[in-house]
Amino acid sequence: MKAFVAAVIAAIILGIGAMLALTSSQRFAYQAFATSGARVSEPGTNLVGPRWDGDPAPDEYDAEPHGKVRGAASEPKRS
Amino acid sequence: MQRVATLLGALLVMAALWPASGLDMSARAQSPIQADGQNPMGARPTADSVNEEFLFKQSPKITGRISIPDGKAANLIQPQGRQYQMFREGWLPWIGALVILGMLAALAAFFLYRGRILTDHSQESGKKILRFNAFERFTHWMTAVCFIILSLSGLNYIFGKRLLMPLIGPDAFGALAQWAKYSHVYLAWPFMLGVIFMVVVWVRDNIPNRIDWEWIKAGGGFIGSKHPHAGRFNAGQKGVFWMVAGFGAAMGATGLMMLFPFAVFDVNGMQVMQVIHSLIGVVFIAGILAHIYIGTLGMKGAYDAMGSGKVDLAWARTHHDLWVEQEQARTASGPQVASHPAPAE
Repeated sequence: MKAFVAAVIAAIILGIGAMLALTSSQRFAYQAFATSGARVSEPGTNLVGPRWDGDPAPDEYDAEPHGKVRGAASEPKRS
Repeated sequence: MQRVATLLGALLVMAALWPASGLDMSARAQSPIQADGQNPMGARPTADSVNEEFLFKQSPKITGRISIPDGKAANLIQPQGRQYQMFREGWLPWIGALVILGMLAALAAFFLYRGRILTDHSQESGKKILRFNAFERFTHWMTAVCFIILSLSGLNYIFGKRLLMPLIGPDAFGALAQWAKYSHVYLAWPFMLGVIFMVVVWVRDNIPNRIDWEWIKAGGGFIGSKHPHAGRFNAGQKGVFWMVAGFGAAMGATGLMMLFPFAVFDVNGMQVMQVIHSLIGVVFIAGILAHIYIGTLGMKGAYDAMGSGKVDLAWARTHHDLWVEQEQARTASGPQVASHPAPAE
């Protein structure tokens, strides 16, 4: 019974370790497929400002370089 | 005066409409299909245009040109993908069901025919002999627990949307499938480690020899009541060992190819990897079902070997007589007892 319990615990620990290792080696799609000429922006941001009126709202540049869109953040897709 | 003005207006309107009628004629000349569908010029533009058949004569794939660094995105049509889809959605569920349900039916039939293989109480000695030490049992159970979860989550890839989703609904199935995918991807690592441990620990005792052939010829004790000679592992157990080692290595290699997509193979290779992974997977599950049967329901006393690690000496003499002699000789010789973790009584 001890061997069984130890085996289950070891499997969980190794599984969590694998999760951390694999997750850290992944990159977001906007990082993996970015080029010097064109850039896919971070999901949830845009280049026309938070109100989509062409005004990037300079005060928001201090906090968010590209003006984060208001509302619920989307889950970025990993490559 | 008013008539002159009306005449001039009419002339202006005609002048304005004249080029438009010319454009309409030009458009008709470009597309000569008439209202009745007939083409008076006899031309067949679609028949003469480039089509899939023509393009596939040039190359096995139809690709485009892209400017992003992900070269795979240039692939537009890959005919092998259709064959893969036919296998994945058409053949695989039937193969999987046939293999696994066939094994369950065969085991049920065998159980009805042979019943549980018992050890007579009068034959039990009351003395125990250590069959598997703690590390061996740890290795077995770590691999086994991972295998069961990998099997269930793997079967969910094949049968989940067909069998489970209609029962529990798409939302619950979506959440379940997501967690099943996580468990499949992450528990694959302790499983692969467990297979490596097993090979290191048990390969020495699983080399086939002449005794195995005698064991097979005697039906392994399943046919009749006489038990053939066997060492630490009989031919059946050696078969399970080499199945786990071989299939485990194949599942690990093909699984790694899918965990790191396109690292080695292109999309064709990825599909081949998935076909191999799934086919070996269902056969592997069927084989382990037989192993679980004989280790639990099929034979009395067999589970103790992996449960507590100790088995009754009489049971060991019946099923693994040569191993018992070897262990007793080793114990009797003295110095080996201290170095060996499994002293025999």
